[in-house]
This record gives sequence, structure tokens and C-alpha cells, in this order.
Amino acid sequence: MPLEFYVLLVMLTSFALAVFLGKFPIGVSLALSSIIGALVAGFGFPLRHLVEGTFAYLDPILIITSAMIFMEIIKETGALGEISRLIIIYLHNRPFWMLSLITLFIMFPGMITGLSTAAVLTTGAIVAPALMRLGIPRVQTGSIIAMAALFGMIAPPINVPVMIIGGGVDMPYIGFELPLLFASLPLAIITTTSIGYRYVKSVNIEKIKKDLPESQIDKHGFRLFLPILILIIFMLVTRLIPGKYTALGMPLIFAICCLSAFKSGKAFNYYKVTKRAIKNAMPVMGILVGIGIFIQIMTLTGVRGFLIVKTVQLPSFWLYVGIVVSLPIFGAISSYGASYVLGVPFLLALLGKSEIIVASGLTLIASLGDLMPPTALAGIFAAQVVGESNYFRILKNCLPYAAITALYGIGMILLANVLAKFLIL
Amino acid sequence: MNHHKSLAIFILLLSLILSYFSARSFLSMRENEKYYPSESNTKIKPLSDYFEGIKNTRGDTPVYLFENEQPGGTILILGGTHPDEPASNITTVCLMENLKISSGRVIIIPRANNSGFTHSDPQEGNPQRFYFKTKSGERWFRYGSRSTNPIDQWPDPEVYRHYPSGQKLSGAETRNLNRAYPGRPDGSLTEKITYAIMQLIKDEAVDLAIDIHEASPEYPVVNAIVTHPLAFDLTGEVVLYLQMEDFEFNLEQSPENFRGLSHREWGDHLQIPAILMETACAMHGRYHGSKNADKAITGLDRFYIEADKHELLSVPYPENGIPLKERVGRHLKTIQKILEIWNNYNPEKSIVVENIPDFFEMQEKGVGAFLVSGE
Repeated sequence: MPLEFYVLLVMLTSFALAVFLGKFPIGVSLALSSIIGALVAGFGFPLRHLVEGTFAYLDPILIITSAMIFMEIIKETGALGEISRLIIIYLHNRPFWMLSLITLFIMFPGMITGLSTAAVLTTGAIVAPALMRLGIPRVQTGSIIAMAALFGMIAPPINVPVMIIGGGVDMPYIGFELPLLFASLPLAIITTTSIGYRYVKSVNIEKIKKDLPESQIDKHGFRLFLPILILIIFMLVTRLIPGKYTALGMPLIFAICCLSAFKSGKAFNYYKVTKRAIKNAMPVMGILVGIGIFIQIMTLTGVRGFLIVKTVQLPSFWLYVGIVVSLPIFGAISSYGASYVLGVPFLLALLGKSEIIVASGLTLIASLGDLMPPTALAGIFAAQVVGESNYFRILKNCLPYAAITALYGIGMILLANVLAKFLIL
Repeated sequence: MNHHKSLAIFILLLSLILSYFSARSFLSMRENEKYYPSESNTKIKPLSDYFEGIKNTRGDTPVYLFENEQPGGTILILGGTHPDEPASNITTVCLMENLKISSGRVIIIPRANNSGFTHSDPQEGNPQRFYFKTKSGERWFRYGSRSTNPIDQWPDPEVYRHYPSGQKLSGAETRNLNRAYPGRPDGSLTEKITYAIMQLIKDEAVDLAIDIHEASPEYPVVNAIVTHPLAFDLTGEVVLYLQMEDFEFNLEQSPENFRGLSHREWGDHLQIPAILMETACAMHGRYHGSKNADKAITGLDRFYIEADKHELLSVPYPENGIPLKERVGRHLKTIQKILEIWNNYNPEKSIVVENIPDFFEMQEKGVGAFLVSGE
């Protein structure tokens, strides 16, 4: 076995020891195992690479932090509770359509930003209380939000992983609308109705009404929804009228929405809410920093190349197994990273099949990485918005649907040329 | 003071110390390598002379003009569009430090994306410099990033919409110089740089333009000449002659539906024959092993040898790798051939350049032998 294999082994072992024996946080454990890996590979203490790695996920960290603050604020103003009340009152007697609409609603921010976390932390957080009041248990609600957010990230018009793969092979982002809709929408509806329908097919609305929060709209009027309205407007404007003055970036958009929340509903202490939100987001921020360092050292030491070259030279059947296993596992680091590192070689290994369909299928599988620990961005935040302390309960509940998603993605790749006749106009 | 506070202060101090040392390393990226242009060099102008909008930014970059009193045509050669493709910048440096002009003009921009030379890509583990031995000592060159420094242009949008086509690419491509042509005066820094290059081509009445690149050995367009339709006859003949001399090249036409590329937009907007050249760089792809400054020179990577055995690459990857001297030599050979064929068909606009380093001599002596020894 080459040196890279042993370096990988040392990195994984030291990571496990740091987490389980040392009881260090995951982010710190990742950083420690990276330092040990670099030392073993003969790179000494590569300070520049360690620091450079920490910056790899700066943008997602800023988005997550600002989104968490926004979510906490609209919870405090009463806007979240009010939307939950309205959904229950107006949609409780049409369960299938209610779940389908809620699915699309959760998917929406993911569809226009290409980020599953944007979906979980905005629309996911908005519908969570309603779904739980309707009788869907906490874990199942978290699963619906996490899975819908993943499909939102894959659905058109914006699928960033496809763009990343396209960037690696000079494939323009053209003709992906129908393939991506085919990859995401049927699965999204089937998944959420499978998880939630049995709980909402007959609800006792009178009983639920008693537990609903006091109506805030009577006290504050429609200004209660001002921050959410501004968020939707900014998200749409930045994409419908792209330009220098509309390219604000998600963190700034969330910051503006947070400021607009003053006097929109119940009063809140901005300092306390921000502190709480950042405290909640801190573990994930730490993991993202640690992952950045870990990948940088994997690349520097050749471990990344070793893993890729061994994976893509698998024979045909095992290549598909490799796709199903490695894309989500590497996606646990980042689904964008998985698309960048593995998506391009897999696409090249599958040349001869319709590249558009293959790339769509690959990103569908890569999106599952957002469920996988240790980062599990969609899953962990879904657990947070429903108040579930054990994320693994949500992961366990999502696993069958994740498996179906992976098989669906493989099916798309296998039948790429047939599907291309119908889906590429 | 309780235990937690002491620990917090310790971590804070440790962070400050590490920040100090790493900041020194990152700031060292702003130091430029030195060039020693040949006697044919008549002017060095900042790119901002052609578009003021990039003045006093890190997008501004030196433009080297090599001229002769004997009139002729003008060729523009771009290196460093992607500063992590070392053969691109080094080819232009080898040209600048050796060429003699008998007629016409040669304009060279060795650091087309100057901002991209001032940082390195996170997650790529690239070295910051690489070194050549020259006759009297060592010279270093910068290994930069594919994209404009985020310090100069940030944040990236989630989706990059190319101007003016509206083509959508991933957000990070917004800092890719070779996706930003034709650029615009009020756009991002990257778009301003491409706009300035477009203005230069207009103002200097450039007749022919070349953009030098490298790609990973698994990339489908590698060891290739990508040509705008206006240059198709010229490059077709160039490839034919090169193949007769046992240089394998693919001739690719510039894709019509992929916008923002230098060759496509130069040709479409300014009606000049435009060419992009690619060689295979093992530091670039997904299969590479560990990275260091030596590998930038030797181009030798055992995982690429393994990938080649499993037919995962677009070009043959020999046991001794694809060294920088071979990649630079190929680029220089191609430029030489392009000029020869150009001069045959355009005698009134001929660009006669002598003393371009010979491919075979470079394989024998190495790149360092063709670089000025420096101070």
C-alpha cells in the first residue's frame, strides 16, 4: 500500500481517538488529526495550509450565522407562530395538497439559492411548528424538512453542484431544467407524503386550535411578516434582475431582514437573540473550519488523489457502487466539495452517456452528503429547528428515503441516454 | 481567574501568534517575481493605460511591448490568465527574455490576472513559489490561484451570470478571467480586467491573439489548440505542420454556446483570429498525489501514471511525467509555427520574431537555461 493509505489511516484513527477518547469537539478533532497527518506525511507543521483550509468555507459559515440569527428573530417576533397558525387553519382538511404545498414551500429557498441550509433555516423553520401541531412527530417533521431541503438544492433553476461539475468540464448550465425537475420533484412529493401523510390524514382541528399560539396578526397587522417578505423580495430580485446593485449576498440579505424585524411584532432583545443564535451555530461553524483544514491536508499529502484514483478505476458495477458510497460520504464534508472533487472524475468516467442527465443524477446523490455526519448541514439544522437534540434519530428516519434517492440517481445515470430523449429539449 | 478564562486567554494568544506568522506567509504572495525583458522591449505600460477603471487595483498589470522600426502586424500573447497553470506564465517570460524582433510588434502580458497571483486556492494545497536554476543562481516564480483574489472581489454570487449573454455558471466562476470576456467598465474587477484587455486589443490594433493555458491530463481539451473560426485556416495548417514534426495536437473549434472565453469573445467582438493553447499539467487535475514546488517543474506524479494505465486520461502520461520544460517547449514551438504560417499568408503584416527558445534545446538544457540569470 502506498504512503497515502497509511497517512489516511493515521488521520482517521487520530480523529476517532480525539472525538471518543479525548472528548474534543468534532472541529478541533479534525484540526488535530490534520496536523498529525501532515507530520506523518513529512510536511512538518504546515501553518499556511492549516490556516488556508480554515477559510475554505468562510462563505457558508457567514450564511449559516446570519440565517440562524434571522430564524431566532422571527421566532421571537411571533411571525413563525403566526404562519404555522395560518397553515393549520386554512389547509388542515386537504392533507395531500397541504403536504405537497409545504414541500414546495420548503424547497423554494433551496431552488433559488442552491443551498439546502437556506431552505432548512428559513421556510423549514417557518413550517416546522405547523407540522408538529398537526400531529407529525418531531423526528418525522425534521426528516420532512431535511429531505425537502435536499431536493430544493437539486431542483431548478439553481443547482450549484451541477454548475461546479460543469465548470470542471466546460459544460454550460443549459438544458438542465427538466432533468433536474425530474430528479427532484417526484422524489420530494413521494418522500414527504410517505413520511407525513398518515399523521395528517384526519386531524382534530378543534383540539389543535386550542393549543395554537395567540394570533399576532391581530395585534401587529401584516408588518409582522415584513422581514419574511423582504427576504423573499431580495432573493427574487437578486436572481430575476441580476446586477451590480442587486448582488448583495445572502449574509447581507439576512442582516437587512433582521433589522427590518424591529417593531414588526413582539419586542425582542437583539443582543440576547444574536448571542443565542451564534451559540447554536457554533458547533457547525467549528466543523466547517475543521473540514476545511482536513481536506487541505488530504490534498497536500496526496490522500485525496489516492482516494479518487482508486475509486474511479473501479470496474463498471463497482463504479456505480463507488458513486453511491463515495459521493454521499465525501458530501458529508460538503456536497459542493464532493461535486468538485469526485463529480468531475465520475462524469469523465461515464463519458458516452448524456452528460446533462449524468450530472443531474450525480448531484442528486451528492446532495445526500448534507445528511451525513459529521457536518450533516441539512440534518443538523433540521434537528435544531424542530428542537430535536439527537440528530441521529432524524438521520435514521431519513435513511430509507436517502437509499431510494441514491437508487433513483443511479437509475438516471444508467438510463441517461433514454431519459435524454424526453428530458432534454 | 477561573480555569475557563485562563484557557480562553491562552487560546486567544496562541491564535494571535499563529495569525502573525501565517499573515506573513500570505502577504509574501504580494511580492512579484522579477522579469528581465530582452533588448527588443521598447515600452512597459500598465494595463490601466487602456482602461483607467483598474488603476490602483491589483487587477492592473504590466504590458510589455516589443517593437521594431520595420512595420508589420501585431500579436498579443497572454500568460497567467490562470496563475495556477505555470507553463502559461513561464512561456511568456521565456519569450520576453529572449525574443528579437525584425518586423512587427509583439505585446505580452505575463500576469494577465495579476490579482490571481497574490493568493492560493484553499483546498488545493499548492506551493506558493517554484524555482529554476539559471546560469548564476536560482530564480523563483509565483504559483497562484485560478481566480481573482477574493480580497479584491468578494463575495461571489451563488450563480455567476456572464455579461452580456446571461449564461449561468457556478458563483466561483465570477472571478475566472477566462469566463469574463468581453467584460464591462462598471462590472466586477475581473470583468474590468477583461474589458481593459479588449480595449488594448482595439487601441493597439492587434491582428492576432493567443491565450496560453494548461489543463489536467484527464480534461477532454488538452494538448490542444482551441481556435475561433476566424483562425481556423491558420491553426489547421499549424497543427498539420506540428504533427508532421511528431508533435501531437488536437484542433478544437471554440464552442459557440459557451461564452466568456478569451478566444470566443476576442474573435466575435473584435473580429481577430484568436487562439487558446492547452498543455497537460499534473498539478491541476483530481488524480494528483502530494504537492510541492518540485512537482511544478518535474510534472511527475505516480497517481497519474496509474490513471493512465487505467485509461482515465485524455493524453498519454509517460513514466517520467510531463515536465514543465516540455509544456513550455510545446507552447513556444506552437507560437513559432503560428507566426511562420501567419507571415506566409500576411506578408504586409508579418511579425518576424527570432531567438524563440528551441523545443529540443529546452528539453536538453531545461527552462532555467533560457531565463536571464537575474541579480
